[in-house]
Amino acid sequence: MTAVPLWVRLPARERVGWLRTVDHKAIGVLYIGMGVAFFAIGGLEALLLRAQLATPEERLLDPETFNQAFTVHGVTMILLAVVPLLVGFANYLVPLMIGAPDVAFPRLNALSFWLSLVGGIVLYFSFLAGGAPDTGWFSYAPLSERAFAPGTGVDYYILGLAVNGAGTIIGAINLAVTILLMRCPGMAISRVPLFVWMTLVTSVLILGAYPALTAALVMLLVDRQLGGHFFDPGGGGQAVLWQHLFWFFGHPEVYIMVLPAMGMISEVIPVFSRKPIFGYGFVAGSSVAIAFLSFGVWAHHMFAVGLGDTENAIFSATSMLIAIPTGVKIFNWIATMVGGRLRMTTAMLFAVGFIAMFVIGGLSGVSLAVVPIDLAVTDSYYVVAHLHYVLFGGTMLGIFAGTYYWFPKMTGRLLNEVLGRWHFWTTFVGFNLTFLPQHWLGAVGMPRRVFTYAASTGWGPLNLLSTIGAAILAIAMVIFFVNLVRSLRSGEIAGDDPWDAFTLEWATTSPPPPENFASIPAVTGRRPLWDRKHPELRDAP
Amino acid sequence: MRPPADAIGTLSLVVGAIAVLIFIGVEGALVFAIWRYRASRHVAGEPATFERNRRLEIAWTAAPALILAVIFVLTLGTMAEISGAGVTPAMRIAATGHQWWWEFSYGGVKTANELHIPLDTPIDLDLTSADVIHSFWVPELGPKMDMLPGVTNHLRLSARRAGSYEGQCSEFCGIEHAWMRIRVVVQTQSEFDAWLAVQSKPRTTVETDAEKIFLANICVSCHTIRGTDAKGTAGPDLTHVGSRVTIGAGVLENTDANIVANMRGWLADPQRYKPGALMPSVPLSNADLDALAAYLVSLK
Repeated sequence: MTAVPLWVRLPARERVGWLRTVDHKAIGVLYIGMGVAFFAIGGLEALLLRAQLATPEERLLDPETFNQAFTVHGVTMILLAVVPLLVGFANYLVPLMIGAPDVAFPRLNALSFWLSLVGGIVLYFSFLAGGAPDTGWFSYAPLSERAFAPGTGVDYYILGLAVNGAGTIIGAINLAVTILLMRCPGMAISRVPLFVWMTLVTSVLILGAYPALTAALVMLLVDRQLGGHFFDPGGGGQAVLWQHLFWFFGHPEVYIMVLPAMGMISEVIPVFSRKPIFGYGFVAGSSVAIAFLSFGVWAHHMFAVGLGDTENAIFSATSMLIAIPTGVKIFNWIATMVGGRLRMTTAMLFAVGFIAMFVIGGLSGVSLAVVPIDLAVTDSYYVVAHLHYVLFGGTMLGIFAGTYYWFPKMTGRLLNEVLGRWHFWTTFVGFNLTFLPQHWLGAVGMPRRVFTYAASTGWGPLNLLSTIGAAILAIAMVIFFVNLVRSLRSGEIAGDDPWDAFTLEWATTSPPPPENFASIPAVTGRRPLWDRKHPELRDAP
Repeated sequence: MRPPADAIGTLSLVVGAIAVLIFIGVEGALVFAIWRYRASRHVAGEPATFERNRRLEIAWTAAPALILAVIFVLTLGTMAEISGAGVTPAMRIAATGHQWWWEFSYGGVKTANELHIPLDTPIDLDLTSADVIHSFWVPELGPKMDMLPGVTNHLRLSARRAGSYEGQCSEFCGIEHAWMRIRVVVQTQSEFDAWLAVQSKPRTTVETDAEKIFLANICVSCHTIRGTDAKGTAGPDLTHVGSRVTIGAGVLENTDANIVANMRGWLADPQRYKPGALMPSVPLSNADLDALAAYLVSLK
């Protein structure tokens, strides 16, 4: 194979085709490509942050650059990397998994992708237009008001997020309608794969949460550009109102990022355990419980705001409750493995890595629901550690599991398992080395979002350790990218069903034809492909 | 009254112990499952096919719920304790966050960046902000509390060890958020009273040529030196600036040996030490800088 990039090898007609495609698989790949690109950018920003913090009173970055970098790192990873990656997988897989030829609204699907991408480009354009936003991804008022953030960075943040959010909202409508109305014959809602269930729940979460962000962004824009006073206490507004609106979006956003990854490992674990998922109904039902509760926990981000003990106690209780359905999922995944025949492929390694790391993020999450502990460690590096255990240790490991699992379906080629193992173990070591020490840093007093710290604090050694971890994590990501590129060009040919899997996406070719299936399949159980391959062992309908 | 930090410490130990037990249990089960059911141990036969068990599901829903109920009750108890319900504070101190320094007011006697409190005495801080949101946090004293413009929050403090405690702003507040450090000095009641008596006095020196330099420049539009015509309020009150242990809210740490040099360096170019700080560089001759630095340090 020559070293010509895939893009260039395509005939000109197909290259243009990517721009005007309405095929859910092509749009899924576009979303994933966007996510991967922004993940790399956000990762480089993170490396800059860790380099600056490696030693006390370091002068590598000036404070302004540091503040822009951590702001853009947060927005990029959450809204331009993780969400597009998850939406991309959902776009690609949901129609295949439910036996549909495409999503319900293919043209709308293209619109949502292009809006999401343009939102990201608008945000990054701020760098050329005089400076990126520097008020944090949460952009608290009044710091984000014009009086304190006179540059245009925050305006690009507002416009970028609003446009990106519109794309995400439209995409959620599309996926929800697809799942509700386009399932093939026999595919009752109680039989859809759990990844589809989680996508449905996530879509509902997006529809509830994102409009609150959009409203808040518009209000902030009115304050900044039209002289409004929504969040300006000097003009009769309320600074805390922004926080309520932002976290009413922001906390469900956490589950928007975690539930689809939970769905991914709920597909991977049964296949590589050679057993049906344990407690299907409870895994699906607990997601609904999480979604419901997630709209009632936002003020646990605000315990130190001074809402009062009564309000804090209520939000403490709801935040603790959410641990229960989360625990149910973890127990069911482990029960799925018990009694199985575990094939520890790279996909499976990342799936059990998800469980192992998410447990830590979940437990530190419960500690943050305990108001007095939260008052001690909120806005410190303890929270940075916690959220990365959830979003990297959880979501990203889940996405890697899904990538190793579905890459063969999307490309027709397997990812390299040897590189995969290197990728997993360097990630595992690098990740824990980066984020485990941050729990201690936060507990002894290192606040978040500081561009440096005094040498007298004694925080130097643990920060250095964390930066070394970040460097190892960067090596892991290089291994992953090498694996992606190499396997795309010359990976082992996968065939239709390389994993002896259970669900319908493996019943068609790799990659699937434009119409997905030669004829619309009919199913009688939760593991239609298993039933077809092992009629003597088929699941009871 | 137990200091809030002690109450939080006890609760953290209990919650931490529970978390460690759950961690060992769950991770242990996971590792055991991976080891026990790996495919290489089972060459023949189909795997088990069980896929549901209502009793197990009820058990692993109910058990965490019970543990969380216990944690929640402990949480409520500690919340009541650290808010100091039922205990009347011996003193209230007004604390105002500014970009990027702290103002503390003892009934109108203002100082900056250094909070002095008496030992073993419940104190209430009345917290607010002059600009954006800040958060008052001294880790060894326990909880933090946000400072919001237009709102007054309250934080109960009490310390049972004399000495110096360090903390810093923990809500991102702009470019110099990292250099908005706090020093809390806990003193015996008599030491504290003596300190407050000194701070309450206007400046004790007579007007000197150096003071005239201060009064003739833009220093006065932001700073107050009680006893002179300098009555600005945008920056820290400098009446007793020479008694403070740091300059620039922690960016320069003073010793007897370096305090004059620190002060001179800061006056000559604050942006060198704290880029983005609101204090401009004042164009002064070297001789004036020397005199001004010595004068400010003399304001003990």
